[in-house]
Amino acid sequence: MSQFFTVSVLVATLATAIKFAVPYLLAALGETIGQRSGVLNLGVDGIMLLGAFGGYYTVIQTGSHLQGILVGLGIGLAIGIVYAYVTVFLHAQQGISGIGIFLFGLGFSDLLFQELVGTPKPIRPLPTLDKLPGVGGIFEPLVDIDIVGPLLFDHNLMTYMAFLLVPATTWLLMKTTFGMNVRAVGENPQAADSLGVSVAKTRLIAILIGSSLAGIAGATLSLQLAIFQHNLTNGIGFIAVALVYFGAWRPRWVMAGALLYGLVTATRIRWQSLDIIPQGASDIAAMAPAIITILALVLLASRVRGPAALTRPFSRH
Amino acid sequence: MKAKRMLKLFAVLFAMTLTAAACGSGDSTSTTTSECGSDLAVAAGESVTDLSVALVAPSAKDDVAFTQSMVDSLTRLGIEPQITDGTFVVEEAAAAIRGYAEDGIDIIVAHGTQYGGSLAEIAPDFPETSFIWGTSADNQGIANVFAYYPEADQGGYVNGLIAASIAGADGIGVVGPVEAGDAVAYIEGFTLGAEAGGSSTSIVYTGSFSDVALATTTAEAHAANGVAVLTGTSQSAVGAVNVATANDLPWFGTQSNTEAWSSDLTVASQVYHWDVVLADMIEKIEGGTLGGEAMALTLENGGLVMEFNGCYDLDSSVKSDAEAAIEDIIAGEIATK
Amino acid sequence: MEHAPLLTMRNITKTFPGVLANDDVSFDVHAGEVHTLLGENGAGKSTLMKILFGLYQPDSGEIRLRGEVASITSPTSAIEQRVGMVHQHFMLVPTLTVAENVALGLPSNRGFRTDLDAVSERIVEISEQYGLSVDPSIEIWKLSVGERQRVEIIKALYRDAELLVLDEPTAVLTPQEVDDLFVILRQMTANGTGIIFISHKLHEVLELSDRITVLRNGKVTGDTTPSETNRQQLAEMMVGREVKLAPDKPHVDLGLARLQLRDVSVKGDRGTIAVDGVSLDVHAGEIVGIAGVSGNGQRELAETIAGLRPAESGSSVTIDDADLTKAGPARTRAAGLAYVPEERMKDGAVGEFEVSENLLLINHGDPKFRRGPLFDFAKIREHCQRLVDQFSVKTPSLDTPTSSLSGGNIQKLIMARELDSRPSVILAAQPTRGVDIGAAEYIHSELIEQRNVGVAILMISEDLDEVLGLADRIAVMFEGRIVTVIDREAATREALGLAMAGG
Repeated sequence: MSQFFTVSVLVATLATAIKFAVPYLLAALGETIGQRSGVLNLGVDGIMLLGAFGGYYTVIQTGSHLQGILVGLGIGLAIGIVYAYVTVFLHAQQGISGIGIFLFGLGFSDLLFQELVGTPKPIRPLPTLDKLPGVGGIFEPLVDIDIVGPLLFDHNLMTYMAFLLVPATTWLLMKTTFGMNVRAVGENPQAADSLGVSVAKTRLIAILIGSSLAGIAGATLSLQLAIFQHNLTNGIGFIAVALVYFGAWRPRWVMAGALLYGLVTATRIRWQSLDIIPQGASDIAAMAPAIITILALVLLASRVRGPAALTRPFSRH
Repeated sequence: MKAKRMLKLFAVLFAMTLTAAACGSGDSTSTTTSECGSDLAVAAGESVTDLSVALVAPSAKDDVAFTQSMVDSLTRLGIEPQITDGTFVVEEAAAAIRGYAEDGIDIIVAHGTQYGGSLAEIAPDFPETSFIWGTSADNQGIANVFAYYPEADQGGYVNGLIAASIAGADGIGVVGPVEAGDAVAYIEGFTLGAEAGGSSTSIVYTGSFSDVALATTTAEAHAANGVAVLTGTSQSAVGAVNVATANDLPWFGTQSNTEAWSSDLTVASQVYHWDVVLADMIEKIEGGTLGGEAMALTLENGGLVMEFNGCYDLDSSVKSDAEAAIEDIIAGEIATK
Repeated sequence: MEHAPLLTMRNITKTFPGVLANDDVSFDVHAGEVHTLLGENGAGKSTLMKILFGLYQPDSGEIRLRGEVASITSPTSAIEQRVGMVHQHFMLVPTLTVAENVALGLPSNRGFRTDLDAVSERIVEISEQYGLSVDPSIEIWKLSVGERQRVEIIKALYRDAELLVLDEPTAVLTPQEVDDLFVILRQMTANGTGIIFISHKLHEVLELSDRITVLRNGKVTGDTTPSETNRQQLAEMMVGREVKLAPDKPHVDLGLARLQLRDVSVKGDRGTIAVDGVSLDVHAGEIVGIAGVSGNGQRELAETIAGLRPAESGSSVTIDDADLTKAGPARTRAAGLAYVPEERMKDGAVGEFEVSENLLLINHGDPKFRRGPLFDFAKIREHCQRLVDQFSVKTPSLDTPTSSLSGGNIQKLIMARELDSRPSVILAAQPTRGVDIGAAEYIHSELIEQRNVGVAILMISEDLDEVLGLADRIAVMFEGRIVTVIDREAATREALGLAMAGG
C-alpha cells in the first residue's frame, strides 16, 4: 500500500492520466462546439476510427506524424460535410444519423485496414518533447526535473494542443461573434434567424470544427498507441459525447471530466498492478472510471441545462 | 473419391510420423527456434480434406493473436476456409454461422468461447453439419459439435520459467484481458513458472479483449513499477508490446508468435497449433462422427509449440532448462495449474 | 407639402391554399404616430405584418417606405430598411446577455472578436434616451417579462428602426408595466418613430393610438381614431355584429361555501414553494376571479384543486365538505368539480382525438354509453351531437380531429364536456385566452348562467377586463400568496394593478 503513495508513483499516475485523457478531450471539445450549436453527433466514435486509421496509414506511408494528424483532420472534415448535409440541410433526425456515421466509420475503417495493411504493424509513436527531432535536446533537462518534469514535459505535442484547446474553445464560444452565433442558434434558432444570423451556416461550421477535432482525436490515438486495429477506439467517442453532457457544455468542466476519467483509469490500473485491488475484483474495477466520472460530474453539473435547441432541426415554417 | 481422400489422409499422417521420427523422440516437436530475420509466413500444407470449411472468428484474421492462429492452422492443413471475421458481436457471428450452415458448408469452425450459446441453438437444426467450437473444454453434449481448448497453462509455465531467469527480483508485468478462458490459464501457468524460477508476477486484467489504449496504459504502469519483463495475451496486447519496445523490456507472447511486432525483444511465444486437433476432428468427421467430444492442445500432442526467437540472445542453459521443463510437463512431473 | 408616410402598404392581397388572408388591404403609418391594427385571431393582422417583415411575399400590392417602393425579402432586409419588430413571443436567447442579444447578427467593429463593451455603451445611451433602464451585462433569463420586452425594443432602436411593429406587447405585462411601456412608446413617437401597435385590448387601443385600422376576415372593416369611436363600436367592427362586452349579471343570493381552500401550499416544478398558504372560499352563486401576472402560482393552485398536483401537508381542499386534499383527479371530479385548464391543447383536450372522443373523455366509463362490454355508438353520437348543438361548437362533423378546430371552438368543446357533468364547482383557468370575441362572449354568458343557478366558480385570468367584467369578488395572487380580496364594486383597475405587482 505504502508503495502507492510514494511521490514518484503518484506523479506517474497523474502523468498517465493526462496522456490517457488526450483523445477524449480532443473529441469532447469538438463535440462541445457542435452541441452548443444545437447539433448532437453520436458518430464521433466512427469519425475517430476513420481518423485513427487515416493517421496510422499515413505514418506507415510517409513516416510523418504531422501529415498523419492532418489526414485525420481532413477525414473528420469530410465526414463532417456529410453529417452537416444530412442533419442541417435535410433535417434528418440527429440521433440515428450519428449512429449511421458511427457504423460506417467502424466498418469502413476496418475494411480499409484489412485491404491496405492487413497485419497490424507498429509505427513510430508520437515523440515526447525530449525525443522531438532537432529540438529534443532542449527539453531533456526539463523532463528530468522532479515531479514537474514527468507531469508537464514528458508529453507529445498533441497533449499540449489538446489542453491549449480548452481555453481556446472557451474563447471561441464566449468572445467571438462566431461563438455568440453558435450559442444563439443552439438556444433559440428562431431568434438568431430573425436577426439575420444564418442558422444553417453557423451549424455547418460548428459541425465541421467538431468532426475535424474528432478526426484529430482519432489520429492522435493511433499515433500515441502506434498501432491500428479493428475498433481501436473501443467507445472513446461515445464516452466523449457523454463527457460533454456531464461537463455541462463548458470546456473547462469537460476537461475536468476527461482528466477525472483518465485519473480513475490510471489509478485503477496502477492499484491492480500493485495488488491493492484484488484479482477477483477486476471486472468491478473496470467499471469504476465510468461510474465515478459520471457521479462526480452529475453532482457538479446537474443543475445546468443544455442548449435548448439541441437535436432540434431548424426550419423557418 | 473416398479412396482418394483416404489416401491423402494417409499421406499426411505418414509425413507427420516421418517428421516426428526425424526430429527425434518426444519433446522436440514442442519447440522451434526461428532463424533471425526470417519471414514468419505460414506455408500452405497439403490439403487434408475436400469437405468445405468456414471460419467465424471475433477479431481480424491477421490479428497476430487469437484469430490468426486459427487461420494459420487451417492453412497448414491446406484448407482455405470462407472467413467471417471481426464478429465481436455475438449476434453477427450467430447469423454468419447459420448462414454457412444453410449454404451447406460441411464444417463450420466457430472460433470464440462466446459463440457457445448460439451454437447450442443452431447446431441441432443442422444435424448433417459438423461444428468445431472453441475454446471450450466442453462440447455442451451436442452430437455434432467438437470442442477444442488449449492447455495454455503449459506454455505459460515454460514462458514464466524463462522470464524468471531474466527478471529475477524485479518481477514480471502481466497484461491480461478479461479474467476468463485461456487467458486465465496462461497467466496462472505463467505465474507458477515464474515463481518456480524465483521471480514474481504482477497481474492486471484490463477488462477488455480489444482495448489497446488500456493495455498500453497497463503496460506503462508495469514499466513504471520497475518490472524487467512483460507478457500479455489477447489482441489488445499489441499495445503492451509497443510499450515493451519503447522501454526495452523483453516480451513473452502467447497464442501467436509476436515476433512480427517486436522482433528484437520477443523471447519466446507459446503458439497454438490448432491443426493438431483439427486434423483429428476432420478425420473423425470424414469417418462419419460429426462431433461429441472436446480435445485439448498440449505440449505433448504438439498443439502447443514453444517458438523461440532466434534474434533474442537467450542463455543456452536457460533454454535447456526450459526444454527440460517441457519434458517434465509432458511426463506429468510438473503441475502447471 | 405633406411628407410621404413612413410606410404605405397599398392593396395588399395574400392567399394561402383555401384562405384569403389579406384581401386588398391598404394601411399606412406616419412618422411620429401610433397606428393600431385591430382584429380577431385569423383576421389577417399577422399575415400583413409578416409581409412587412419580409417573411411572406404578397401576391399583389406594393410596399413603400418613405415614399419609395421597397422590396422586403427577409427579416434582414426589413431590418436594413429600418423596420423593427417586437414579436409576441420574444425573439431572445435566454442564455445570452442583453448586450449579446442586441449585438447578435450585427458585424463587430473588431472583426472576429465581439465588441460587447462598445455595444453596452450604446445600449446605455439608448436606455437613457428612452427611459428603458436595463443592465447590458445581465443574462436574459434573469429578467422579468417587462424587462425582456424592453430588450426587444432596444434591439430595434439599436438597429435604428424608424418603424416599429409591436405584436400584442401588453399580453404578458402587469398594468403598471403597460403604463411604463406606453410612456416609452410615446417618447419614441415624439422622436419621430412610427409605431404599429397590435392588440385586442380595447381600452389600451383607445388610450394609446393615434389611428386605428380594424381587420376582419382579411379585409379592412374600419379606419378610425380614438376620438371618433368607443369600445363597443370597435368590438362590433372586429366581430361584424352586435356584441355584449359587459355581460348582464343579475343579483344572486350567496349560498354556502362550496369550494374551501385552507392554508394551501404547493411546490412548483422546480421543487420550490409556488403556492404559499392560500385560503379562499367560493360560495354557491358567485364568481371569484383570481387576478395576477402569470407565474405567480395560479397554475399550480389550479392543478392542486383539480387533484393533479399534491399539496404540502397542512393544506386542505374541500368541495361541499368532502375533503379532497389527497384525492386524485377522478375523486375530485366525482365530488363535483369541472375543470377548464389553462393549456387547453395540453391538459384540456387530445389534439389527435376526434371531437366526439374529446367530448367523452371524462365519462366514457359511464354505463349509459355501454351495451354489454362495448360502446353504444349510437347513444354516444346522440350525446355528442346534443353537446355540440347546445354549446354551438363549430365543427364540420363529430369525427373531425379536434386540433383542426379554432381555439374558441376547442374551448367551447371543453366547456360543453365539463358543464354537462352538472358540477357544483367550476374551476376555469384563462377561459378566453386566445379565443375570439364571439366565443369569449358565449363562454362568459355560460359561466354567468352557471353562477345564476348556484354553481361556485373560481376563474383564474390574467385579463383584467375579464376579471372586472365577470367576477363578484376578486383575489389577487402575487408570488404564491393571495395579497388581497376585493369586492367587485370596490375594485379599480389601478388598485388591482398595484396589488398584482406586489404593491
